Amino acid sequence: MRRLSRRQQIGAAVLTAVALLFISLDFAGGSLRGSRGGATGALGSLYRGTDGVLGPARRFLQGIPDVGSNRTEIAKLQAENTQLRRQVAAGATDTATARRLKSLQLQADSAGWTVMPARVVATGPGAGFQWTVTVDVGSREAIVLGQTVTDGFGLTGRVVAVYPTTSVVLLAADPTFGVGARDTRTGALLLASGAGSQGLSAALLNGKANSGSSVTSDVGSSVRVGDHLSTGPAGQTTFVGGLEIGVVTAVTMSTDGSVRVALRPSAAQTGLNLLGIVLKANRSTPRPPIGTGSGADR
Amino acid sequence: MIRIACAVAGVLTVLLLQASLIGPLTFPVPVSLPALLVIVVAIYAGPGIGIGLGFSTGLLADLGSDQPAGVQALCWMAAGLVGGMLGGLATERGYGTRGVAAMAAVLGAATGLGVALMLAVLGSHAASAAAAVRLVVPVGLTDALLGLLLVPAVRAMLRAQGIRAARPTADVLGRGHVAR
Repeated sequence: MRRLSRRQQIGAAVLTAVALLFISLDFAGGSLRGSRGGATGALGSLYRGTDGVLGPARRFLQGIPDVGSNRTEIAKLQAENTQLRRQVAAGATDTATARRLKSLQLQADSAGWTVMPARVVATGPGAGFQWTVTVDVGSREAIVLGQTVTDGFGLTGRVVAVYPTTSVVLLAADPTFGVGARDTRTGALLLASGAGSQGLSAALLNGKANSGSSVTSDVGSSVRVGDHLSTGPAGQTTFVGGLEIGVVTAVTMSTDGSVRVALRPSAAQTGLNLLGIVLKANRSTPRPPIGTGSGADR
Repeated sequence: MIRIACAVAGVLTVLLLQASLIGPLTFPVPVSLPALLVIVVAIYAGPGIGIGLGFSTGLLADLGSDQPAGVQALCWMAAGLVGGMLGGLATERGYGTRGVAAMAAVLGAATGLGVALMLAVLGSHAASAAAAVRLVVPVGLTDALLGLLLVPAVRAMLRAQGIRAARPTADVLGRGHVAR
């Protein structure tokens, strides 16, 4: 056992007194704030520098107890994440396709048509000038010129070119597109035509509101905003009858009395994926079409 | 002069190690590497050096933290004093690394208890007497492990040329140690 010398005893007593003085000073108020700030600042910058060197080692050591469980957890979550991503990507496409097919089926069932499902494989060659799409069915599937194309909700267009395995569909929004239409509320006859990105427009067949025609003698009662237009009377148009074209969004009358009707198309004109081509007659085809025989069942 | 420089370097090193490595790794067990250094140095170099080193290291640690200044200075000074006095026993009986580490661990745990009790009395942070008593054993065990690494390092450093005490035989003869 070592003993303190006289000087050491005095030194220890002085230092104890100083320590107690510090404690009471710090406890009573902020007398040591300046020196504390200086020491904390100096040590703080040293801590930062040290942490740059020792930080990775510390984090490594801190992570050791969790290594096994973390690795398993990460692998599990990654696999789960990949699976979910795949499901989301596939699910979105599948859901849209299934919904479209279902609506095509419904429409074919209710109208007694035979509908050939067709997937859009390309858009028109002159993007922006010609509103056409290419679909993956052709003469092999009994597609012929002039057949009506629908997306399950309304009129999409008509077939303008047929090749053995593909066909070209002219969309209703194309300016060269024209179709006879009937106002489902009043029975008024109109001629609807494409208006490009504006959708569709239509004109009363008799043109002028004051022409004396029984149908158009009262424009307000023959066509109104909110009216639904469908393809014209069966047998009088190349399109199948009763297929909805669009909803009237505006009716304007020019100074010469001619009436223009703006339409919002019932069928989407962009972002097309799955379409249905209405076959007039049942035929023996390599791909079994939707709705075959379902009309006879009911 | 060289001894002072070495002491400053050693103290700064353990303070930085404590803040960036030991403290975060052993949280919430309040293990203190600087206190252990003070004790081990005092065991080998005597109570005079223990008191000075304990007070200065403790005061620096106090000012660098947000607890009341002087608490660690007082406790570590006491640890240096006791360590220096008991160190004579260790050197007389020729304790090896493990013996010195065990002695330092017991003193380290007692120092930790003293600091925690003082902080509890002063109402600093979440320190409480119950927590202080509960953590004595974990602190002692961790200190023993750290001591096994620290004791050989301190011994080698104190034996190095230029740092060695001028009259090491004074300890053995029981004439008291005089710091130069």
